[in-house]
Amino acid sequence: MIETQSATAPRNTTGPLVELIGIHKWFDTNHVLKGIDLKIDPKQVLVVIGPSGSGKSTLLRSINLLEEPTEGSVIFDGTEITDIRVDLDKVRTDIGMVFQSYNLFPHKNVLGNITLALRKVLKIDEREAKERAIEQLKHVGLEHKADQYPGQLSGGQQQRVAIARALAMRPKVMLFDEVTSALDPELVKEVLDTMKGLADEGMTMVVVTHEMGFAREVGTRLVFMDEGQVVEDGAPREIFANPRDERTQSFLSHVL
Amino acid sequence: MSTAEAPLSPPGRGLAWVRGESKPFSLAILVLGAASLALAFVGSILVLVAHGITPVDDLIRGLKSNEFFGVNLFAVVGGSIASVLGWGTYRRMGTKVAREQAVAGAVLGIQAAALGAFFMWFSESDVDTFAFQYMRFEVLAGAFGAFVNGAKNTVFLALTAETIGIMFGLVLAVFAISKRAVVRAPARIYINFFRGTPLVWQIIFIGVALPIGLRINIPAYTAAIIALSLNASAYTAEVFRAGIQSVDRGQMEAARSLGMSYLQAMRYSIVPQAFRRVIPPLMNEFVILIKDTSLVLVLGLTASQFELMSVGNNRLENSFNATYLIGTAIGYLAISLPAIRLVNLLEKKLRSGLVGVGA
Repeated sequence: MIETQSATAPRNTTGPLVELIGIHKWFDTNHVLKGIDLKIDPKQVLVVIGPSGSGKSTLLRSINLLEEPTEGSVIFDGTEITDIRVDLDKVRTDIGMVFQSYNLFPHKNVLGNITLALRKVLKIDEREAKERAIEQLKHVGLEHKADQYPGQLSGGQQQRVAIARALAMRPKVMLFDEVTSALDPELVKEVLDTMKGLADEGMTMVVVTHEMGFAREVGTRLVFMDEGQVVEDGAPREIFANPRDERTQSFLSHVL
Repeated sequence: MSTAEAPLSPPGRGLAWVRGESKPFSLAILVLGAASLALAFVGSILVLVAHGITPVDDLIRGLKSNEFFGVNLFAVVGGSIASVLGWGTYRRMGTKVAREQAVAGAVLGIQAAALGAFFMWFSESDVDTFAFQYMRFEVLAGAFGAFVNGAKNTVFLALTAETIGIMFGLVLAVFAISKRAVVRAPARIYINFFRGTPLVWQIIFIGVALPIGLRINIPAYTAAIIALSLNASAYTAEVFRAGIQSVDRGQMEAARSLGMSYLQAMRYSIVPQAFRRVIPPLMNEFVILIKDTSLVLVLGLTASQFELMSVGNNRLENSFNATYLIGTAIGYLAISLPAIRLVNLLEKKLRSGLVGVGA
C-alpha cells in the first residue's frame, strides 16, 4: 500500500522522478490529452512545445494534479499520486509550480508571499521561514524588494518572486507554465536567466514554453505535442536540426 | 484669453479664464436664475424664521404673511424671465462658458418658478390644518430624549445584526460555493429562504408565531435581533459569495500548488482578497439594514427598547400628530447619510487603488 509519508521522505528510488502512464483528459466532450506516457528523470530539463490547444499546459498541470487526469496514473518519486488515498497537499509541497500570470498574493508583500506556505504548510517558525525567503530572494536577485507588494513590481520581478516562492518549499521538481508569455519582451530575459541558473544547479524542470532559444540552449530533452499527443521526443538540438514528424516540421517552420 | 506662447503646460482654466470667456448677457441670465431660486428657497425660510418656526401659530402666521407670498411671487417672475431668456438665446452664445451660463440660468429659473409657485399655492391653501399636523416642531423638543434613545437602539440593532451577519454569512458563503452538492444545498436553501420571504414575516414568525406555537418565551428585543441577524446573514452571504468568486482562479491554483489545503487557500489567500472587495457592497447592505430595523416596530417593544420608527409611530398614534414621524425621518437621515457618504468615499478610494495594497 502507498503510504502518504513517502511524499516528503528522502528519495529512495533510482527510477524516474515523474512518470505519467496512459494519461487521458477530457473537458466535457473535449479530448485534450490522448494517452500520454512520459518518464522524467532527475535533473532533466524537459521542455514541452507545441501549438496552442495541443494540451501542453494540461499535461503540465496533470503532474501536480491541478488537473485530475480522467484516466491514467501519475507516479511521483515512487508514489502513485493519482491514488485517492494519497495526501495531495503533502505531495504538492515537493512539486513547485510557476504560472503564466504569476499568481502572487496581491495582499501580501514579497516576503509574505514566500513565507506564507512555509509557515502554514511546512509549519516552519517565522524566523526560519524569513531566512529561507531571503535566501531564495537573493537567488533570484530581489532581496531588496522583500517589503514591496506585487503591484509595485514589474512583471519580470513578479515572476522571479513567484519562482522564489516555489523554490523556498525546496521542491524536487519545478513546473513552469508559459512563464514568460505575459511579460513585455524586455523582461523575458531576466526570467529565463533565472531559470537557466536553476537548470545549471541541477533542478529537475518541466517547462512549457514558446521560447525556442531557451528550449535549445537549456533544455536537455524536448517534447513536441500536438492534438493531445506526444509527437516527437528527443534531444532539443536534434529535433530542431531535423524534425522527423511532418507536424513538428510545420510548427518549427512557423516559429523559428 | 489663452496664451499662445505657453504650449508646454495645459491651458489655464481658472476663474480668470472663465471671466474672460463669459458674456455680460449670459452672466445676467445666470445671476437672475440663481437669485430667483435663492429668493424662493432662502428667502422663504428667512421670512418664516423672522416670524418664528415654533410655536406652530407663529409658523402659520409666517406662511400666511404677505412677505412669504411676495418673496415667492418675485421668485416666480424672476425665474420665468431667466428661463425664457436662457432657452431663447443659449444656442447663439459665442463661447462655451456663456452657453453653459445661459443654460444653467434657465434651469435654475425653472426650479425657482416651480418652487415659488408651489409655496404661493401652499400659502393660499389650508395652511392651518397642515402645519398643525406636520409642522408642530415644538412637540419634538419634548420627545428629544426618546428620539436619541431610539437612534441608539436603531444603531445597536443594525450593528449587532450586521456583525452576526458577517460572521455567519462568511461561513454560509464558503458552504454555498462548495463543489459538493451536499455541502452547498443547505446553505443555498437557507440563503434563498431568507432572501425569498419578507423580513417582516421573519420578524413576526420569530417574535410572535414561535412563542405562541412552541410556548417558549422569546423577549421581543431578542426576537428582533435574531430575525435581523438571520436575514442579514443571507444577504451578506451573497455579497461574500460574489466577492470570493471574483478573485482570480489563479490565486486558488497558486495556493494549492504550494501545498495548501482548500480551506487554507480560502483562509489565507482568497477570503482576505474577497473581503477587501466586498467592503463597499457590505456597507451598502448596512445602510439598508439601518432602515430595515424599522420593521421590528411590529413587535411590541417596551418604551426603552423603542428604535426610531417605534418612537415616531407610538407618538403618532397617541397624539395624532404626524410631526413625530418627521422627527423619525430626521433621525434616520442623521444616521444613514454619514454612512452613505462613507461608502462613497471608500468606493472612490478602492477604485483609485489606494486601498487593496497593504497587509
